[in-house]
Amino acid sequence: MSRNTSSSGGSGALSHAYIQYPPLKCKNDGSRGLFYDDGNKLLISSTSNQVVSWKISPFTSDVVSTTDTISEGPVLSIRYSLDTKLIAVQRSNNEVQFWVKETGETFSQKSKSESDTILGFFWTDCAVCDIVFVKTSGLDLYSYVPELKTLDLVDTKKTNVSWYIYTHESRLVLLASGMQCKSFTGYQLSSAGIIRLPRFEMGMAKSDVNSKPVLAAEDVHIVTVYGRIYCLQVDRVAMLLHSYRFYRDAVIQQGSLPVYSNKIAVSVVDNVLLIHQVDAKVIILYDIFADSRTPVSAPLPLLIRGLPRGSISSSQSSKKDAEASETTLLNDTSANLYADDWNFLVPDLVCDVATGFLWKIHLDLEAISASSSEVPSVLEFLQRRKLEAKKAKNLCLDLIRSIIIERRPLPIIFRAINVLVTSFAYSLKTGSYSKAGKSEKPPVSGVPENNSGTATKPDTSGKSVKTEPSGSGSFSTSDSEDNSNFKKAKTKFLEGENLTPSESQPLNVSEQQESQVTSAAISPDELYSYVFASVEEEMVADSSYLFAIIVEFIRSANMEKIKVHPNIYVLAVRLLGRNERYAELGQFVLNKIIEPSKEVALELLETGSHNIETKKLGLDMLRQLSLHHDYVVLLVQDGCYLEALRYARKHKVNTVRPSLFLEASYASNDPQHLAAVLRFFRDFIPGFATTSEHSTYIRALADMPSSITV
Amino acid sequence: MGLSSAATTTTPSDLLKFCIFDLRRGQHEGEELEKILFFFPADLPFPAQLSVIGLSEGLITFTRIFSPEAACEVIEADMHSHVFFEAEPDIWMVMVVAKSKETEAIWRIEALRSVLKEIHSLFVMFHGSIRVLLDKEPGGGLTRSHLFTFIMDYLTDFLTGNKFTLPNFRDSLKERGTVQMLTVGREAAIEVQSLVGVLDSCMANTLGYSVILFQDLLVSTTLTPDDTTNLFSYGTLRLTPRILSSGGTSTWSYLRKGNVPSQAELASRSANTLSALDGFRDPSSDNYRIVRPLQHGKWSKGKDGFLVTDIWGVEVGNLVPTTPTLWLQQTEHKMYLCVYQHKSLTIILLIPVTSMLNGEEGISMLKQQLLENASAKIFKVEEKLAKGWGGENAYHVKGYRYLLVDGDRNISRASPPGKVTTLAKESLLALNKVREDFDLEKNRGNVDAVNHEKDLEICIRAKNNAWVIARSTRGKQLYILLEKANETLLYASEAVEKFSDRYCNGAFSLD
Repeated sequence: MSRNTSSSGGSGALSHAYIQYPPLKCKNDGSRGLFYDDGNKLLISSTSNQVVSWKISPFTSDVVSTTDTISEGPVLSIRYSLDTKLIAVQRSNNEVQFWVKETGETFSQKSKSESDTILGFFWTDCAVCDIVFVKTSGLDLYSYVPELKTLDLVDTKKTNVSWYIYTHESRLVLLASGMQCKSFTGYQLSSAGIIRLPRFEMGMAKSDVNSKPVLAAEDVHIVTVYGRIYCLQVDRVAMLLHSYRFYRDAVIQQGSLPVYSNKIAVSVVDNVLLIHQVDAKVIILYDIFADSRTPVSAPLPLLIRGLPRGSISSSQSSKKDAEASETTLLNDTSANLYADDWNFLVPDLVCDVATGFLWKIHLDLEAISASSSEVPSVLEFLQRRKLEAKKAKNLCLDLIRSIIIERRPLPIIFRAINVLVTSFAYSLKTGSYSKAGKSEKPPVSGVPENNSGTATKPDTSGKSVKTEPSGSGSFSTSDSEDNSNFKKAKTKFLEGENLTPSESQPLNVSEQQESQVTSAAISPDELYSYVFASVEEEMVADSSYLFAIIVEFIRSANMEKIKVHPNIYVLAVRLLGRNERYAELGQFVLNKIIEPSKEVALELLETGSHNIETKKLGLDMLRQLSLHHDYVVLLVQDGCYLEALRYARKHKVNTVRPSLFLEASYASNDPQHLAAVLRFFRDFIPGFATTSEHSTYIRALADMPSSITV
Repeated sequence: MGLSSAATTTTPSDLLKFCIFDLRRGQHEGEELEKILFFFPADLPFPAQLSVIGLSEGLITFTRIFSPEAACEVIEADMHSHVFFEAEPDIWMVMVVAKSKETEAIWRIEALRSVLKEIHSLFVMFHGSIRVLLDKEPGGGLTRSHLFTFIMDYLTDFLTGNKFTLPNFRDSLKERGTVQMLTVGREAAIEVQSLVGVLDSCMANTLGYSVILFQDLLVSTTLTPDDTTNLFSYGTLRLTPRILSSGGTSTWSYLRKGNVPSQAELASRSANTLSALDGFRDPSSDNYRIVRPLQHGKWSKGKDGFLVTDIWGVEVGNLVPTTPTLWLQQTEHKMYLCVYQHKSLTIILLIPVTSMLNGEEGISMLKQQLLENASAKIFKVEEKLAKGWGGENAYHVKGYRYLLVDGDRNISRASPPGKVTTLAKESLLALNKVREDFDLEKNRGNVDAVNHEKDLEICIRAKNNAWVIARSTRGKQLYILLEKANETLLYASEAVEKFSDRYCNGAFSLD
């Protein structure tokens, strides 16, 4: 999906959302109507005896339509069964007809009485039934019996219904009743069972005392963001958009958003709420993750991207007339965004019924991130994006890098760092940060809350829908593979494991891994290599600034119990060393803020060439890490032969050759040292006295001034 | 050599004589008094003063023939010990202590010298080097009055009852001139460092420094080790909450518990001792004002949490105390001293005077900024540290009495004073002796090979069957006293090994 948006860097355009040319053209001759089957993500066009359907997920403009033949007759609505083996067509107010695709057999289901009008129907993956009829008298729940080719009435839910709305992603049906149609009953028919929501009333302002405005179906929208289900209701009198959140046992009003248009449409792209102010032709974005009712950005129009230029379109039009007409249609479209024929489909599609064009709405993350100077909140916003996770991630890295280079005030950078670290920790917990390349992840399924367990339940039964695109509200959160990935990720980053540095991850994330980015979360390693390491050179004059940032980073990481790559500590040591803040460096090492590792020890030794205490810290660290070989070699380099030998003997270090000691002690020009070393090897290495090395150095010793006997 | 000492009568003042003199001054006959910069007791007749100084000067000149770099360190006479310390080139501090039959007067020379060192470094911190003072004012009057007030204020801390109690063998498990650190967990340490970052940003572009104390223990510093040590000494002497709450009596709180004179007594003592001071100062009070940073009871906590003192005077007109200033040792920068206290947490900020263009106004702005930006963090850190702190006996190790000195970082840690008092006198005397030998050996080692620190170990069994063990390796020293221990050497050495592995990261376990 992201490829649609890749090339056009739309940050210049004054728009935060766009639709990408070319659209999906779903017009066929003799079409009598367009229907949207959101259960199967199909756009369906019916002619007198044919059903043409386009798969709209994943969304591409060149998808091939499939055609099924049905008998002639009126079509009020069409939906495929969730396994697409059946086609259900509502023929009239009291009849729904079914086709079995394999055999072409048909059967129909009628309501019992003429007065009992069928308002509509939908297929469900609910455990107890397969299809639900919504009638003015309530719900009829049927299960399909393939052997008998009939529907079996399982259950009925009696209630008066004026109209209803249903979305497959929420599995929620809302039934409106009452004079003003503002009293609601809701059922969620998920695989976990049927949940009846408490009856509730929607608020409506009155223009005067006696008026009784009637709530229309198009003024109520079911919205699924971050796995939570909301209902948005337009109050045309008060010019407000009321929002309600559904919990398992309660419906709670969440507050209202202002609207600036009589007609409101709602889309959800990547968990961001797009409120289309249709009359004003602008969109306001809301990210209601934290129950904030502040728009993400100012109202801006929708943009069409990649529209063919006049010249191109004319050359095309010379080939085919159809194309020519299409171009004009397109030009109309661009002039007529939010035309009357625009139909907004759940969650992020727009269908222009007049032209038969289906558009998908995208977010322009670059434009959004460029439009706000509040970097920490922009980062929070970007971190929550899943659809274009890779782009969001890169934007985050660019942002944090640039605010550091711009030397923004430290508190802002601290907050930004905190955002990234917290988000990473969260993605670890939910398991969405895994490099093993699970491409599909459900949206974040709700933060733990008191009356949560919400209306959305994990799809645990095997009876699940076909694979759905991410963001579509399949709530499956657990399959074994995910769990293992999660564990892997957990052991890698959570504290308390014993990765030796050489085993830990390489810093540069390979192409393959990048292509499978499913979360914008940034691991400490990436933060190091793309931000800290890359700004280090530019910050030479200001290392204490960068150091303060790193301390804050270590702090955040520690609070989230995330392991930090040794390279960050190495960088910290280097920065302190550069400013000659050796005393502080000592504190950092002794307090283990800088965690011991071989890399850090070597950096300490390097820095210690200017400061003996620091060097000792490095040596001590090597010893404490039991890196015997390196420790012994360093002792020899420092001329501490005897300590090195004692140590080597105690810890059985066999990897250091005798000749190293002998050469070093010979080079020291001190016969006592050489004699002691020789003596040591003669005593502790069997047969050493007969080696050529031994005799060489015995002779060398004899040649030394003021020699002593061994 | 004992001649001059023997000649003097045994007045109480004879127990301690202390002088500072400048070899570059008073080189002509009749001007000998010029070289005296400080003498205690001040009421000793000049001839007697000169005889002490003359002897010292003679010895220095003599020993310099053999060792021009490090002349005389100590003279052990029959009845007195003379401890020498060359504070600045040609400026010598000499302490003469009487040896008496009462065993309380068994000292370790290095411990006495560390007193001299401490006096000098604190003096330099507040007044600048003696040489510079003398150069500025060749008459020496200013220098003398500075030194006199300063040292007398300092010495009041050693007053017990009627006499001075210098650090003796009972203080063998202490190391003056080192810093005691609070051990904190990683998480708390990170919080502290984050606070340091906030403090830094409060001082913004002034390149200031911060030192954080918890109770009497150092938590964090951005100063060089030398300056940290000085400021830490001053902090524990005059600034920490314990001292402020005790109404200004200095107790060397951590070091000196148990034998603290009552406050009133001390006040009267200091008044007596300093009575001479007033006469000293009066005639010249127009010319210069004597700042007495070590004066007792002068610091108090203001409403905003900042400590205030009028030691540095009061701004004319508005009664606002002048912000204290001091000098950094290495960079010789003059710094404003700002102290903030929240419960047990003391935060010392040093701000370069040169970067505060608008002086006092800038300081009060900075204080405001600190209150606004850092208080939340300060509260959090205090809470965290208080929660993690094990109390006074936090660093007690059962069965052991120890002193651990990290010479590189100037850090020491010891058994809590309350636990040290349980030791038998014999054990402490033995330890004192071992330390004396150790000091000697160390000094010799330093002369022999400048860069090569020798590993040393001494292990003895005292008369009362206590083990006294001293180990030194790579700049660190460990002294351990084991009473009621098993009699084998193996046992003692294993005990040390265990201690080293458990509490010193195995630093002393090399074998």
